[in-house]
Order: sequence, then structure tokens, then C-alpha cells
Amino acid sequence: MSRFRWLVLALLGSGWSLSSFAAGSIEGEIEQQALNPTAIVMFMVFVALTLGITWQAAKSTTSSAAFYNAGGKITGLQNGAAIAGDFMSAASFLGITGLIFVGGFDGLILSLGAFGAWPLLMFLFAKRVRNLGSFTFVDVVSKRLARGPIRIVASIGTIAVVVMYLIAQMVGAGKLIQLLFGLPYTAAVIIVSALVLAYVAFGGMLATTWVQIIKAMLLLGGVTLIAILVLAETGFSFGELLSMATAKHPKGDAILSPGVVFKDPIQIATIQVSMLFGTLGLPHILMRLFTVPDMRQAKLSAFYASVFMGYFYIVLLVLGFGTIALLYGNPDFFDADGKIIGGTNMAAIHIATAVGGDILTGFMSAVSFATILAVVAGLTVSGAAAVSHDLYAQVIKQGEPDPTMELRITRIAVFVIGVVAVLLGIAFENENVAFIAVMPMVTAASVTFPILFLSLFWSGLTTRGAIVGALTGFLSSLTLIIIGPQVWVSVMGNPEPLFPYNYPALFTMPLAFFVIWLVSVSDQSERGQQDRANYHDLLVRSEFGTDE
Amino acid sequence: MVDPRLDYVRVKTRRRLVFSAIHLLLYFSFALNWSELGKGLGRQLGEGPMTGSMLMFVILVLLFLAIECIFLLFDRDGAK
Repeated sequence: MSRFRWLVLALLGSGWSLSSFAAGSIEGEIEQQALNPTAIVMFMVFVALTLGITWQAAKSTTSSAAFYNAGGKITGLQNGAAIAGDFMSAASFLGITGLIFVGGFDGLILSLGAFGAWPLLMFLFAKRVRNLGSFTFVDVVSKRLARGPIRIVASIGTIAVVVMYLIAQMVGAGKLIQLLFGLPYTAAVIIVSALVLAYVAFGGMLATTWVQIIKAMLLLGGVTLIAILVLAETGFSFGELLSMATAKHPKGDAILSPGVVFKDPIQIATIQVSMLFGTLGLPHILMRLFTVPDMRQAKLSAFYASVFMGYFYIVLLVLGFGTIALLYGNPDFFDADGKIIGGTNMAAIHIATAVGGDILTGFMSAVSFATILAVVAGLTVSGAAAVSHDLYAQVIKQGEPDPTMELRITRIAVFVIGVVAVLLGIAFENENVAFIAVMPMVTAASVTFPILFLSLFWSGLTTRGAIVGALTGFLSSLTLIIIGPQVWVSVMGNPEPLFPYNYPALFTMPLAFFVIWLVSVSDQSERGQQDRANYHDLLVRSEFGTDE
Repeated sequence: MVDPRLDYVRVKTRRRLVFSAIHLLLYFSFALNWSELGKGLGRQLGEGPMTGSMLMFVILVLLFLAIECIFLLFDRDGAK
């Protein structure tokens, strides 16, 4: 029982799984492992392959348009795989498996939360966003609202989300690679940044897309193989696997039902709202809708992404309960104090060792590293586009930039983001970044999503309403996170939080919607009238395309 | 003069919102597992170890995919 109590306390005390999963980072208890040559060789093969693709992609990345959206030539199937590759982070794989290892069924709330956004992406955004925008979601909202102010606000929102996501990713990358490869933290952060710079600066969105596709296929292939090997241990009976798991886990049958880790349905709802609407507001995910040639391919992208991710999260069910059935009670995976070696993050890697030996362990470690590269590459493209397209080309140059200068600024932005990512990664190495990992999802749900949704579905939206609502969403998110458990207790050391939930989007998103509505309906300005009048034209173009 | 295409777009908008509402209803129903109302879901099904809660997870994932397929079928006419 003491082993189990330690695991739960470690998990809950660090706020690890929930917050880290939000932005796809890994944090919490990390122990540098011995150098893993198999993993390093396999990772080098991945790097060689993706750099070769980047070299090819660089030949066609000669304009800003090619950089931002790969020339719009990606098919729906390819884009669906790339979206899956962009979103299925190392923390999805390691974090959810680790949470199931500790708490059984409760870990599935993260799987459903991560999967739930994709159908809505198809119903609400895929076609309309694709039809109205060119390179970023900011193009869409600025179609009917005052171009300058809304672009500045939405671009700052994009950059804020990207930077916070990057910090979580870089700190997570450093710790994960320390854990899996036995490399020092700083070296890991620099390697990630240097590789991403090479992919993105030279190959733009095309290289990023292929890195994400290859990573998605490797990850799906890896988890499938582990699941087959796990089921082979139980005569391919899922029921037998569950029986073995309940027999081994200290909580017994309780792990098959809710309540081991989470007790409060409101807490569950806060996670669901943040993950669903946060995902729909992530700029680097929305940007992928512009890489396909037409609206049909945009819809298919969302569908294929759903298929890949639905499959992934169902397979994680087998992996998660497999870790319980095959790791508990096996002294090879626990230290003298009864702690799982390397922390709960390692449960997914240990199960690979248990069923596939060193080769499969090395493969999954290499895939986890590749996963981080794919996510950071997507973030970097999105951040660079916010600077060079949204701010430089559309605001400073009023939509008439010098193409050569725009491409140059794009590449400079990529370089700056890469350097900033390394510096922030090193600066935050020993900080509690749990709250920073929560911020991107909550900010995206409370700032980006309301503006984008209302600009597409409500005729009454005005520029003033959108700006005031966005600021309200951002400030309320920041405030509630500061007075919540992640900062008030974990960082500032207070005994009790002033606000009880880690994910405040359940409260901040409705507040942002209310403020947008209130300010918009009371806005009698000339600009407000124009914003409302623009809606019907935008609505028609959103369904019929911009060529009408 | 009112654009005649607006009626068509409004029908499509209603369809989008109906599908979204169904999806959200199903999605948030999963939280019932942690409430008194959904306590029965945690019980084991028959003789096997599988619980109603676990079955609900798998069914929801498959149902979401099925709803997307239905939406694609409805939306097959494109914007013409």
C-alpha cells in the first residue's frame, strides 16, 4: 500500500499529469538514466530521414506562402496524419499511460478530453476557416472586424499561446530526454531547438508536415505493436488483461471505475471544457487547415485526424491497463524504495521493455523524442507566421509587403523563436512550470476560441466587443490560475488555494463570451455598424469560398 | 436586396450547430461517471471485469467517429 500511496501523492502533489498533458509537456519527478545507445541510434535514423525530407522541401519553399501553408498542396489524409502528429504529444503517450498506471479508469478522462475536440473542429471550423483564411486564423477574424486592432490583439494572443506552449515543451523535452536517453538537460534543449530550426527555417510548413506525419505513423505503429504484445500475454483477451490488472493493483477492482484519482464532477468538467475548447483555439492546429487545396480536403483532414486519434486513445486503454498487469510486482521496474524507476512518466517505456526488450524500448524512446520535435516545429511555424504574416505583412505593411523581405523576416522570426525557446527552457529548468503548461489551453479556450467562433456564427459581433472580451478572457484566466492550486499553493507555498480548480476555462470562457456579447450589443459606433453589416457577406463566403 | 444564398447558408449553419450540440451532450455526459447520477455505470457488466464506465468510453469514441461520418454524408453536396 505504501508504494501506491507514494505514487498517488507524487502525481497529485506535482500536479504533473493534468497540467503537463494540457500543453503536452513532461515534468515532475525525473531521474537521469544511463545512456541508451539503441534509442540514440534509432533517433539518428529518424533525424537523417527528416533532414533529407527538409532538404527536398527547402527547394520548393521559396516564398512566404510556401513557408506558411506548404503551397496548399497537402491532401486531407496527409493533413489528418499531420494534425494527429502535431497533437499526439509525448505527454499523451507517456502521461495518459502513467495516469492509468496510477489511477486506472480516471486516466481516461484525459483521453476523451483530448479526442473530443476533433469532431467539433469538423462541424464548426474546418470548412469555414479554410474558406475565409489564407495562412492563419487571424486572417479569418480580420475579414469582418477592423483589421489593424483585431490583428494586433489576435496575433499577441497567438504569440502568447505559442511561447507558453514552447516553455512547457522545452522544459518537458529536456527532462524527457534526460530520462530516456541519459543526455544532460541543457544538451537536450539545444538539440531540440537546433533540429527544429533546421526543419522549419529551411523546409517551412512542408518539412514540418512530413516530420509530423512520420512521427504520427511511428507512434501509432509503436503503440499498436506494444498493445499486440501486451494482449498476447493474456491470450488476446481484454477481459483477462483487466482481471490481471485488478489482481495486481493495490486498489483492486476500484481501478475499473471512476473515483481513484478524481472525486469531483466539477473538476472533471473543468478538465473537459479546457481541453475541448482549448484545442479548438490552438493557433498551430488551426493553421494546418490552410495547408490543403480546398474545403472538402479541410473537412477530410479533421475526419482523418479523428480516426488516427480515436484509434490512438483506444489503444492507450490496452497499454495503460497493460502497465498495471505487467509492471506491478515486477522488481525489474521498481527501485529499493518501491518507486517505479524513473517515475510514473516511465510506465509506458517500461511496458515496452517488459514485452519487447531493449529494441522496442529504444524505438519508443526515439519516437518520444521525435514527438517533441514535431510539436515544437508546428509551434515555431505558427509563431513565425504570427510575426511575419499577421504583424509585419498585414499590419505594418497594410497587406502589401515586399515578398523577399517577408520571407526574410519569417526566417529571422524562426531563428529568434528557436533562441528564445532554448533560453526559456534553460531558465525554467528548475522552476515549477505546471501553471505555464495549463495556460495555453485555458488562454486558447478563453481568448482565441470565443473570437473565432463568434466571428463565424454571430452577426452581432463588433471589433470593440472582440477586443474587450479577449482581454477579459486573458486576464481572468491569468488571475484564476495565479490564485488556484498551481501557483497559489505549489509555487507560492500557501496552504490552501483561493480558487480550487487547476483549469479555470469552465468559468473564464463563459465570462469572455458574456463580455463580448455585452460590449458588442451596446456598441453603437460606426465601426460596430460596419462589423455587423460585414457578417452576411462573410457567411456566404464561408460556405461558398472566397472565389465567389 | 437579400442574397438568395443566405437561406442555404442558414440551413447549413443550423446543421452545424445541431451536430455540435449532439456532440457536446455526449461529450459532457462522460462526467456523469463521477456523479451520484451515474454511479451505476461503475458496476461490472455480467460476469466479466468490464464496467459500464469503460464501455461508455469506447462507445463514445466510436460514436463520435460515426457522427462525423454522418455529418460528412450530409455535407457531401458541398457548397453548390
